[in-house]
Formats: sequence, C-alpha cells, structure tokens
Amino acid sequence: MRVRRSTNLMTEPPATATGDIAFNLIVFFLVCASASPDSGRRQNVPRSEQTPEQQAKAQHVEVNLTRTTIAINGEATLPRDVAPRLRMLLMDKTRPEDRVVVVKSRPEVPYHHWIATTAAIEQAGGIVTIQREEERVVQIGS
Amino acid sequence: MKIKRKTFKADVPAMAMGDIAFNLLIFFVILAQANDDSFLKWQPARAMEVEPAGYARVSVLIDAEDKLYLNGRQVGVAMLASQISNLLEDRPPGERTVLLKVHREAQAMYYEPVIEAISEAGGDLVHVLDKLNEE
Repeated sequence: MRVRRSTNLMTEPPATATGDIAFNLIVFFLVCASASPDSGRRQNVPRSEQTPEQQAKAQHVEVNLTRTTIAINGEATLPRDVAPRLRMLLMDKTRPEDRVVVVKSRPEVPYHHWIATTAAIEQAGGIVTIQREEERVVQIGS
Repeated sequence: MKIKRKTFKADVPAMAMGDIAFNLLIFFVILAQANDDSFLKWQPARAMEVEPAGYARVSVLIDAEDKLYLNGRQVGVAMLASQISNLLEDRPPGERTVLLKVHREAQAMYYEPVIEAISEAGGDLVHVLDKLNEE
C-alpha cells in the first residue's frame, strides 16, 4: 500500500493585514508625490546701488518691458530676436560690469514675460539688473 | 469547593507594530517640513532650461492673489529683506539659496521688490519654474 505524503506546506498571508498594507502604500506614495523636488533657474541679481560716478561712466544696455512688448535701447524687438541682438551689443564687452543689462519693467508686466526676457538676456551673456520705476509725487493744485 | 475562574489572555498583535512604526515615521517626517507652502495656490512660469533647485532654508512665494509668503507665513514686503537675513544667518555662499515661487501672472509691482529684497539680504536667488517642453 502506498502512503501519500502530505506536502501541502503553502501558507496564506493573513487577510487582515491587507488593509494595513494598502493604507501604508497610499501614504507612502502620497508623501513621495508631495515631496517632489523643485526645479528652476539661478539668477545673480547684483545690487542696484551705484555711486553717481559709476552712473556717469557706465553706459549699460537698457531693456524696457511693457505687458506684451520688449524694447532694447528704445528699439522694439521681437522676443526671438532679444538674445541675438543683445549678443551683438555685448560682443566687445569683456568686463562683467560692462555686461550689465538694466531691465526696466512697467508695473503690469507679468512674471512669465519677465522670466522669458531675462532668460534671453542671460543666454546672451548679460547680467540682469533691475531698475524700478521711481516713485513720483504728483501734487494736485487746488 | 472553590471553582477556578477561567483566565483569558489578551495580547496586542505584534504583527501591526511595523505598520504603526512606519506610520509614525511618516507623520513626523511631514511635521518636520517646517517651511511647507504646498497649501498655497500658484502656477509656476515655464522655461526651456531648468535645473534642480536643491535644498533651501528660505522659500518666498507670491500666490495667485498677489499675497507674499515667507516659508508659508504671510509677510509684508517692507520687512522681507531683514527676515530673510535672519533666516540665512551667516551661512556661506552656496548655502544661501532662496527659492522664489511667483505665480506666472503676477505683476512686476509685486515681484520686483521681492527680488530686490532677496538680493539685499544676500540670498542666492533661484526662480522656481516648470520645464517648457519643445513640441
């Protein structure tokens, strides 16, 4: 007579732990998703304090921004032409202080427009400096 | 004759200990993110070339309503430079990163003073942007 060996050694994982495992997985992936690292662009903005002597000597390239337009040294320029034009203007300037590009923005200029323009300036080798519009006191006569 | 009462042994299931420890760990890791500003509403601007921003002690955010936040706390622009200086202390260059998160439609009158304040405080400015995919 043949004796059948009992080889049924399979053990099932306890079903009660399934909920815990699922919950832990959800929490783990939620934390991973919320902790995604930021990406961006470094920008070195020099302080805009200048002595009157420096101001008199330096003739920097000036970029004027309105809500939708860009002007380099007063000349309207298309966004795609900003980098090539600035590259031409900065071509013979070797010292970092000569490569300063003064960005003057109207108060309503949106951030995405500003970022795109300053990216083009840096691409052309310029160093971005902000010049804000000076506050003017307007007296209304009686 | 004394009848002995039946005693029932009640054990805490040891199997759940690992799960409990893991959940506690995650809970405290989330709490430790002191400068969390993930609850604020803003959309980053896009740029072609972006790089990982790395770790920063200071994060400045201008949200969709043009409100200014420093490490998740609403602040005024007038005191921003001194507050950033306090947070950066005397850290060497390279450890003075300040993340600037500006809503893409925010106007220059809001973000330019902030950029100036970061520059004045001696922070290494990093604009937080989304990568623009070429199509």
